[in-house]
Amino acid sequence: MFNTKMRVQTFLLLIAATVSLFTVGCDKGDDPTPQELITKVAVHLTGTNGSTFNQEFEAEDPEGDGIWNNIPTLNIPANTTFDVHIHVYDGATKIDGEIEAESTAHLFVYKPTGANLVVSDLNPDTDGKSFGINSKWVSAATSTGSVKIQLIHEPTDKNAADPGGEVDFEVTFPVTVQ
Amino acid sequence: MLKSKAIWLGFCSLYFSPVLNAQDCHLALRGHVTESGTNEPLAYATVFVKETMLGTETDENGYFAIPNLCEKTDYTVVIRHLECAHFTQVVQLKENAQMDFHLTHNAILNEVVIKEKAIAPPSTQADNLVERADLEASKGLNFSETLRKIPGVSLLSSGGTIAKPVIQGLHSNRIAIVADGVTLQSQQWGSDHAPEIDPFAADKITVVKGAAGVKYGIGAMAGAIVLEPALLREERGINGWASLGGFSNGLGGVASGSMDWRPGRGTMTFRVQGTAKRSGNLRAPNYWLGNTAAQEFNFSAIADWKHNRWHHTLSTSQFGQEYSILRAAHTGSVSDLLLAIQSETPRNNLDYFTYKLDRPKQRVQHNVLKYKGVFHINDLWKLSGQYSFQNNQRREYDRGRANTVAEDKAQVTFQLWSNTLDVALEHLPIRHWQGGVGVQASQQLNYVSRGGFIPDYLGFGGAVWAMERWRRYPNPWEFELGARYDYRWNHITTTGNGNNNLDKQLAFGNISGTTGAIYHFTSQLTGKLNTGYAWRPPHVNELFARGVHHGAGTYEQGNPDLKAEKAWNTNLSLTWESRAIQAAVTLYHNRVDNFIYLNQPRDSIVLSIRGPFPAYFYQQDDAILQGLDASLSLELFPQLTAESRVSILRGFRIAYQSTPNEKDHFHDWLPLMPADRYQYGLKWTFGKKTSFSKRSADKQNRAGSLGETFVRLLAGTTLRQIHIPLEGLTKSAPATFTTISMDAAHTFHLSGRHKPSDQRNRQLLEVGLNIQNLSNVRYREYLDLFRYFTDAPGINVGLRAKWTFGS
Repeated sequence: MFNTKMRVQTFLLLIAATVSLFTVGCDKGDDPTPQELITKVAVHLTGTNGSTFNQEFEAEDPEGDGIWNNIPTLNIPANTTFDVHIHVYDGATKIDGEIEAESTAHLFVYKPTGANLVVSDLNPDTDGKSFGINSKWVSAATSTGSVKIQLIHEPTDKNAADPGGEVDFEVTFPVTVQ
Repeated sequence: MLKSKAIWLGFCSLYFSPVLNAQDCHLALRGHVTESGTNEPLAYATVFVKETMLGTETDENGYFAIPNLCEKTDYTVVIRHLECAHFTQVVQLKENAQMDFHLTHNAILNEVVIKEKAIAPPSTQADNLVERADLEASKGLNFSETLRKIPGVSLLSSGGTIAKPVIQGLHSNRIAIVADGVTLQSQQWGSDHAPEIDPFAADKITVVKGAAGVKYGIGAMAGAIVLEPALLREERGINGWASLGGFSNGLGGVASGSMDWRPGRGTMTFRVQGTAKRSGNLRAPNYWLGNTAAQEFNFSAIADWKHNRWHHTLSTSQFGQEYSILRAAHTGSVSDLLLAIQSETPRNNLDYFTYKLDRPKQRVQHNVLKYKGVFHINDLWKLSGQYSFQNNQRREYDRGRANTVAEDKAQVTFQLWSNTLDVALEHLPIRHWQGGVGVQASQQLNYVSRGGFIPDYLGFGGAVWAMERWRRYPNPWEFELGARYDYRWNHITTTGNGNNNLDKQLAFGNISGTTGAIYHFTSQLTGKLNTGYAWRPPHVNELFARGVHHGAGTYEQGNPDLKAEKAWNTNLSLTWESRAIQAAVTLYHNRVDNFIYLNQPRDSIVLSIRGPFPAYFYQQDDAILQGLDASLSLELFPQLTAESRVSILRGFRIAYQSTPNEKDHFHDWLPLMPADRYQYGLKWTFGKKTSFSKRSADKQNRAGSLGETFVRLLAGTTLRQIHIPLEGLTKSAPATFTTISMDAAHTFHLSGRHKPSDQRNRQLLEVGLNIQNLSNVRYREYLDLFRYFTDAPGINVGLRAKWTFGS
């Protein structure tokens, strides 16, 4: 039979056991994966067929609060063909490579509105489907408008009008063809 | 020692001189049980004769009779009542005699094992006890599902896996969820977050509707949900149960078990309890809900020790859950959201079954450690102290690029540590006043990783309270008065998320109060009136949120100037309880000053990285929530009962025109208010129907003993919510729908029913069938945040078996 002292001891032992259980259960050094943030998107246009145009336009969110601070106007010459490459940054880190490594899980979508601008020749992913980090832009007569650029993550059908998946970034640049 | 002299309060043992040879075994023991202090008859006390295994319960007036007892035989009579000490007495019968038994309230100074857990008098607010049959039937489903049948309670859900209770239109940090005396702290993290409760650990669930801030602290503006574990055993030995359940929708399985042990002749009792659960993708009538698998593992343990004037309880619990979030509900931008809403079937859906938990998913862990010590100063007074530690963790695993996903790490981690110390000095009736005073101190630390939505903070809180209740049997009146003062101090810091180097100290303090009265018109009809004042300080999130909320496709911005919310809640309820009819109706009016809500001024759009998002701003206005909850249960024939429940709610804010002229105000409906709801059903009971009046249900719950055998068919109709804010809704409110559910249960006696010697080996097997959405109807619920994306789950057939062993 227990005596009082033994009971107290048992009780204290129980407390100690429970507390140690807790300490073991606790996850220490639980550093989560940094959020995948996109803080800068740059559109690099290089003129071809004799054009010497070579310029990069950067849309930025330096604070990382998810709100674009600055979206520049794309001032581009008329009747010109451009090789276009998109650069994507998380802070100072360029993540183009990461996206290109997963080209099948990504799709760049371009939607020009108003301006005389045609986007074509999206470069393919490793399965031969559209990817679009590189593309060909052809400008025509002088005009103004905009171009919406989206990066879609995990599209369900790259050829459909609604490719599915989620938007990684979406930015609409004003465009002046001059 | 059970048969200690101190508990021999009634000196009614009749010793019969052994003259007769023939033994007469047709005597009845008749008795009257009263509370010794007040002479108030004790209804629904369990009376049990150990030697014969015969038992009964006292009627409304405290009378009982146990037939077929023999003369000249020692019988041990055990009487138990919720509010009183456990009573044991050895009697001998001479002839059909009536004896008086006087039970005392719990605080008795002796070594006798007594149940310390004095049940508080009924609340003066409207309250509902979850019926035992419902509690058993919904175990294995999520916790909130347990409460769905209670009028005035609805669920705010995020698909089939996450749901939290809403009491009379209010939820999250406006109600308190109290499990085993500890208030859950993690509910402040937002609406898409279910309470960390294992329904298997609860034996009794009470929903208090009305301002309950005095008793349950800051935040209990609309009420409280109080969960209590089963009482621990009083005698040495072992008892417990094991339960298995299976569900057709999601091919889910759940196993749970619990064991109580009182060793030797000591006064220590132990309990261990655990639950494991697993389910795969759920299915709506027409398609699978891609990525809705879930798994859960819970554990709890209690050590309880009574010694002299002391009663110590040490308990710990761990709740661990991992659930994936409907793939179709994961949208990156408003364009995605609009496409998802327009889509007839879920967009990006993974239309197949799997148990795999894929991203997006969440992992939740909740640990509680509690010590409670009670010291009985004397017969009337007791001093209690409770320390509790809580740690809540939530990890959110978002979809992402392969190299981040590969590490199996979360994108956002929320951590909350809370320490709470309660000290209370309470007394049993003194001149018919019962109550106490107390103080509370708390400390809280919240840490959110980068990219999280809520800033970090360190908070300290303090409270003092006093509460008294007047009851004088047989006076039909009961009164209650209570007051409390709370103070909160928070130091809020954060970096990033648009709140660069935020460093603010904020303090809030306010009183809460309650006054209530109960009037017993007759033994059947009772009226309750309660009016209470409760408050809560604005949450850190509401003050300082700043960023894009991807799940909701919104940009949210806090308002550092928000004032505390204050609610003036009045409710009137009438209950009728007789054998054939149980009816309750509650009318409530809740005026909330400075009601905090998210408002979207027209055309306020921010250009986020992921496209344009509608911008919402935290704002406050005075609001009024009022409505009616009613329930009726009518015995048509002895076997057949009809039941019906109604919940009606109107919630609006007092909005002002753009000119801040006091007169230019108008009423605008509040968003996300539960739609009106009706339930109606029939229940067929086999064999002897147990009275299910509230107190008896209470007793039944606690005894955890026999359930009745029944089949019940229940239909629930939820009307289309037509009271929507002027601002409109992103997707119009879903249409009226009716779902049908069926449940049935039966208890088998495996052994120990007839032979007294088998009492220790008494075994019961309770089996149950529970079918939800029997007609597999397609519907969407207004309060389901995932209604934008998908239909609610279809038919779900659940089967369960529970084996109970030990006395």
